Amino acid sequence: MTASTAGSSDEILLDHGTGAKLSQELVQLIADTLGDVYVGIMEDSAILPVETGRIAMTTDSFVVDPPFFGNGDIGKIAVCGTVNDLAVAGSRPKYLTLGLILETGLPIDRLKQVLVSIRETAREAGVQIVGGDTKVVRKGEADQLYLNTAGVGVFEREPLSMTDVRPGDKVVLSGPIGNHTVHLLSIREGLGFEQRVDSDCAPLNNLIDGVLDRVPAGAVRSMRDVTRGGLTAVLHEYAGKLGRTIRVDTPSLPIQHETAMAADMLGINPLHCANEGCLAVFVDPAAEADVLAALRSLPYGEHAVTIGEVSEDTEVLVLLRDADGRETQLEELLGAELPRLC
Amino acid sequence: MSKIAVLTNDLQYELVEKNPERVAAVAAATPHFTAFLDEIRRRGHHVFHLQLVNDPDDPNAERYDGHLPVQRGTRGAEIIEDFLAPEDVVMEKSKDSGFYETDLHERLQALGVDTVLITGMQTQICVQTTAADAFFRGYNIWVPSDCVVSARQEDKDRALEWLDGYCATVSDSAEVISVLDAEGTLPRKNIKTP
Repeated sequence: MTASTAGSSDEILLDHGTGAKLSQELVQLIADTLGDVYVGIMEDSAILPVETGRIAMTTDSFVVDPPFFGNGDIGKIAVCGTVNDLAVAGSRPKYLTLGLILETGLPIDRLKQVLVSIRETAREAGVQIVGGDTKVVRKGEADQLYLNTAGVGVFEREPLSMTDVRPGDKVVLSGPIGNHTVHLLSIREGLGFEQRVDSDCAPLNNLIDGVLDRVPAGAVRSMRDVTRGGLTAVLHEYAGKLGRTIRVDTPSLPIQHETAMAADMLGINPLHCANEGCLAVFVDPAAEADVLAALRSLPYGEHAVTIGEVSEDTEVLVLLRDADGRETQLEELLGAELPRLC
Repeated sequence: MSKIAVLTNDLQYELVEKNPERVAAVAAATPHFTAFLDEIRRRGHHVFHLQLVNDPDDPNAERYDGHLPVQRGTRGAEIIEDFLAPEDVVMEKSKDSGFYETDLHERLQALGVDTVLITGMQTQICVQTTAADAFFRGYNIWVPSDCVVSARQEDKDRALEWLDGYCATVSDSAEVISVLDAEGTLPRKNIKTP
């Protein structure tokens, strides 16, 4: 067996999923490619030390179409998605599991490419992969490969909670919105925007950790990674939970020009678009400048900007305020506008 | 050698014959569209026909009632005869933008082309995306409004408005020829991008 084959085959076979010798060889290839980020013991469960009294747990499945895109792939998204969900709760992501559903015929080299992305992203995020599972389905029963990651984070500071957000708090975005969606749609249909608009997919735990280290405790009330449903979903979730109106200044929204072009052409709203590397941070107004400075000093936070605030008004609304002060409601999405973006 | 090229999009039998609205829209445009192409050729400029060829393995390729149209080698994939001339270049593409995973840019560069006129069907898809892609690559973009076609007029109107606003000079074909003859070139619109 070489690094580009599992057994004698250079593509995934049904027998790679039977649990027999070919399965073992595939699992060995996965472990070898993941290298030092894989610390599994090849038994039924991983047994892991946890230093603190509380852990965060989350899981996510990944079916992104296409699974390979300009500046990333499904492997990178699978690590980032779970790492970011753990980190926005205020935990330090520590362990991941990795589940793979592989379509018969997937070239082993493509699988290896995904595993290398997983390895590199896990290294950047400082997480270890402690266990996993591999299943193989027949041709046509999946689109190349689907992944699932579950994660554990440990709390070294107090957890962040939506309920800590107060009227007057500022809403800060860590970076542009809409790029991930436009990048993927452009590759799906060959629209030409993918050369100008990259996916924002990134592990944000180091950014979050850096900000929380640099600002006083309580300055950051709560945060969310702005993924499916986009900023619209996040703002409505907070407005509903808090029982408040959230006002957003439309001119301040960080939207790359080419992303606005594409959204205008496609008839989609960047506020509804899925992202994979953007935070919405709810901030004590007294600490707004410190939080912005901290975000802007760190990778993935260079373009951080305040976009609005939580108001005293108790009507559950999200209002968009234009440059002339006119306000319009940002309606909540009823369903997913675009499928398979993560 | 001319620095100007006309790019047509998807003027293929099976794509045009998809529905009566497309047939009617192309039929209405054909007389002045083909005359425009003749004028362009007569002045020594280039004509590239971007020919959509669907890959049977592409799950995102649009099917017509389960049938995959414009497969390589079929009559349905051919460029409609009315629009073709022997000196024209026919280039396959697999997606909406003519530049996506093709060597169109390299071929235009080799000819020294810096100005492209985007034409064909449909305005709100292939014309728009090919224009945007060309704009990002630094070309001066013109769109002759009577040589782009959509099944629905409102789609065409909205696409032309978008093109005019973001990346192109939109004009009718007679005006294009008039400017070309008067100035010997097509001036670049001053487009400010943040």
